[in-house]
Amino acid sequence: MSTFDSKHAAGLHRHIHSHLPSDAALRVKTLESLAVEKGLIAPETIDAWVEAYSEHIGPMRGATVVARAWCDPAFKARLLENGTDAIREFGFEGNATGHLKAVENTDDTHNMVVCTLCSCYPFSILGMSPAWYKSAAYRARAVREPRAVLAEFGVDLPEDVAVRVWDSTAELRYLVVPQRPAGTEGWDEERLAAIVTRNSMIGTDRVLRAGAA
Amino acid sequence: MDGIHDLGGKQGFGPVLVTEGDAPFAQDWERRMWALSRDGICPTMTIDWFRHGVELMVPGDYLTFSYFQKWATNFLMLMVDAGQITLKDLERGYVLEPAGPAKARTVQDILEQVRRACTDFSVPEDAPARFATGAGVRTLRHIDHPHTRLPAYARDACGTVIAHHGAHLLPDEGAQGRHLGQHLYTVAFAARELWGEAANPRDDVTLDLWESYLVPS
Repeated sequence: MSTFDSKHAAGLHRHIHSHLPSDAALRVKTLESLAVEKGLIAPETIDAWVEAYSEHIGPMRGATVVARAWCDPAFKARLLENGTDAIREFGFEGNATGHLKAVENTDDTHNMVVCTLCSCYPFSILGMSPAWYKSAAYRARAVREPRAVLAEFGVDLPEDVAVRVWDSTAELRYLVVPQRPAGTEGWDEERLAAIVTRNSMIGTDRVLRAGAA
Repeated sequence: MDGIHDLGGKQGFGPVLVTEGDAPFAQDWERRMWALSRDGICPTMTIDWFRHGVELMVPGDYLTFSYFQKWATNFLMLMVDAGQITLKDLERGYVLEPAGPAKARTVQDILEQVRRACTDFSVPEDAPARFATGAGVRTLRHIDHPHTRLPAYARDACGTVIAHHGAHLLPDEGAQGRHLGQHLYTVAFAARELWGEAANPRDDVTLDLWESYLVPS
């Protein structure tokens, strides 16, 4: 039973710090061995999780949702009203999307998502987050100087476009709905989904290009 | 707690590694750590106790360890804390009394499990919401819980409620193993309120904050 005792936990962390090699691969190997020996998980199940998040769950899911929103105004309304219910229509609900909020970019507003306290992310529709999203630099700077961070991502944002940064401090998770680019009239959802970048759904990319597909 | 994890607004970290840091996983052990973390290997923890555990790491390690290195370290701590393994097991690298093997599951099983993991953190609450959408609020300056989701950069700051989400489980209590609901709001803060006059007057930052973090402005 977990103790929920902060002092006890901090003491254990100090013990681990002093007595265990810090090598990351070795620590994961130790954790895996102990969990398997204790009958908590089978190695094949770990492989299955890896495959699920490599082959089935990833940003292509979010892109599919965005493309549907571009093509179907009724779906877009449902997505903006209740993101979790809307992604259930695809079977995409799951890890960290129990309270999904979709936020829409417009000509005069740009949305950007961060988690300054840890690295919360809507896993079941975007997969695991990129390393930069979990970095100290992004977590520290996104809220304070979002325009400078966007410039590093190559986003040239006009001064008169407002930036709204969503800091994921509760169990709500945010999905940015980027703007549909010009030159994509008549495209089907599959073709549209192919030009929706992962970063555009986090808000570190803004102008999508029809030529990218 | 005012820990090293509370990074919002801290300066000196340099550029975001946009290109080099673009992959979700760089190493195979990172994938395996992610997989292990999904599967309930420490069943008595709460999500808040997990997060608080990361915050309680040795501060120097927190800043220098990679993301999944922190997770591995935290899970080792959590499993010792919960009595599932001992510090001796950790140092030895194996347990003296292994249990029977766990049943292997398939990718299809896992995909179903992911859908079932769509957790609802909202809870019924009889008390009326103290703030309406559009209300002006000020955040507390001091927090004395060991774990909180009110970051330092947004303390003692004035903002506007832009959404009310009903009551959600309060992490401050969840980190102590208690389940208590409280009204949750999304509050928008002008960038200038948080960072001063150098910020763009059009910009703002939103945070999802529980009622006990807020007073009327």
